[in-house]
Amino acid sequence: MAIQVRNLVKRFGAFSALQEVSLDIASGELVALLGPSGSGKTTLLRVIAGLETPDSGDVLFDGEDAIRRDVRERGVGFVFQHYALFRHMTVFENVAFGLRVQPRKIRPPEDEIRARVHELLGLVQLDWLGHRYPAQLSGGQRQRIALARALAVKPDLLLLDEPFGALDARVRKELRRWLRRLHDDIHITSVFVTHDQDEALEVADRVVVMNEGAIEQVGTPEEVYDHPATPFVYSFLGDVNLFHGRFEAGHVQIGESSVRAHPGGSVEEGEAMAFVRTHEFEVVRERIGNGALPATVRHIRALGPRVRIELDRTDDGKMIEAEVSRAEYDALDLRKGDQVFVSARRARVFVNSD
Amino acid sequence: MKRHTVLPGFGLTLGVTLTYLGVLVLLPLSTLFLKSAGLGPSRFWDVVTAPRVLASYKLTFGAALAAALINAVFGLLVAWVLARYRFPGLALVDALVDLPFALPTAVAGIALTTLYAPNGWIGSRLAPLGITVAFTPLGIVVALIFIGLPFVVRTVQPVLQDLEAEVEEAAASLGAGRWQTFRRVIFPAVAPALLTGFALAFARAIGEYGSVVFISGNMPFRTEIAPLLIMTRLEQYDYAGATAIAVVLLLASFSLLLLVNVLQWFGRRRALA
Repeated sequence: MAIQVRNLVKRFGAFSALQEVSLDIASGELVALLGPSGSGKTTLLRVIAGLETPDSGDVLFDGEDAIRRDVRERGVGFVFQHYALFRHMTVFENVAFGLRVQPRKIRPPEDEIRARVHELLGLVQLDWLGHRYPAQLSGGQRQRIALARALAVKPDLLLLDEPFGALDARVRKELRRWLRRLHDDIHITSVFVTHDQDEALEVADRVVVMNEGAIEQVGTPEEVYDHPATPFVYSFLGDVNLFHGRFEAGHVQIGESSVRAHPGGSVEEGEAMAFVRTHEFEVVRERIGNGALPATVRHIRALGPRVRIELDRTDDGKMIEAEVSRAEYDALDLRKGDQVFVSARRARVFVNSD
Repeated sequence: MKRHTVLPGFGLTLGVTLTYLGVLVLLPLSTLFLKSAGLGPSRFWDVVTAPRVLASYKLTFGAALAAALINAVFGLLVAWVLARYRFPGLALVDALVDLPFALPTAVAGIALTTLYAPNGWIGSRLAPLGITVAFTPLGIVVALIFIGLPFVVRTVQPVLQDLEAEVEEAAASLGAGRWQTFRRVIFPAVAPALLTGFALAFARAIGEYGSVVFISGNMPFRTEIAPLLIMTRLEQYDYAGATAIAVVLLLASFSLLLLVNVLQWFGRRRALA
């Protein structure tokens, strides 16, 4: 099912949760709403589900108005962060719930309900847990049951609110791969909310980055990561260093160092914010030319193939976070307190628009 | 087998508990049994099966049951409102619920009688409709509803507060109507607490004396409750007779509370099986 969101506005008292949000989701897509807490991503999801009524704006399902349809009639499967399983029902009855509450006319007969529930429990690989109660399951198992329950009524749209937020890191990683595979199998239009950039970039076909009730950028994971449209997207995705300096003639001046930079906006000159990702730095012991900033090594974290180095700039004392390969690190033979030179291979600038 | 636990003193706390309950509850109650035993079995039987006494039992248990059932329904409603909605004056309403606990029961009885008497503020308005409340069994039920309300509200309210609104939203998103959500999701979750609240209100109503004697009129065979009959016997220095009636009351209440506890226990077992 294709979804169109048009100019949604939602306020909670003085707080503006959604400000004129518009978004198109194609049928069969897996979309992530990514943003910090308070960015309006959960509100947007709940408005699409019908759990929240917007102050103004439209939601269309396959071109038809959905706002006036009650949550019960929207055909939407919703998965909650804290599972919201029915505690007094077995896993089997939880999954069967959506079928059992259907009007008698369309409710499938008991043996069909059984078959459907077992099929779904098989899909989430928990068929052997049908007789248990939610309290007896692990967090990851509960969330998979919640997903099976949502899928039981064959929704046209699956909405997941921070589905892995309450799980520990290892289970979270496992479940998000599993969700991706599940989506590849059943191709149901799905939208999930997350504040975890790795999760959004790894799982989704498209990522919607939100901030302060508005959409900052919509694009494939590669697009939003490699070509961030706004300073916010840049700083929210990936580890990044922020500098302030003057931008002109394709270069930004950071301290004594002049760095080749791509402008993010249309303005070609002026005071600018310059973003450099941690892996876009080069760290050397001897200054070559004058494109480098002198700095002192403050902390080294040498775990795995990439080595993170925290440095203090000699000129203004601000911190730089750089990442080098293991081989480079070994060649440099760095120690805490060493004097080095740091140069950015490239930067992306956003010229201040005031 | 000795098991190690974080909190020490299982033996100590259990000992204190048993001693405490023994001295506070069991000891007075056992003297009750001893005293009534002085009657001998046949006299005992005669006392507790006298028509006037049987009528009072019927009234006491009937009125208590009716009041507890009404309290279960409306107590659930009040608890729901207090747990789910935010409105100005919520704290006030919340405090109001406890008032029947705090008020001396005689004061409640006098207040209710004044209101519901045929010339009272409510009674005079009900009289043209042919409804008399004061000095009828209906009046007893009204008094018992009044004193039993907090039990239901205060046992159900925390459970409802614990029940996340998300669970209701999940039910709605799965297509359940409001009634289905209540019957299949909310009610089973609060049922154990509701049963406890009902049992407490019921037990309290069986023993209630102060608020009832004013509004009931105390007519033998019609509006005379068992606790009053006990008082009457005591005033006539018929201690054995009084305790005999009390023993029956006590056994009935105890078996009821026990039954409720057993039901709860089965319910929990099912939920954790």
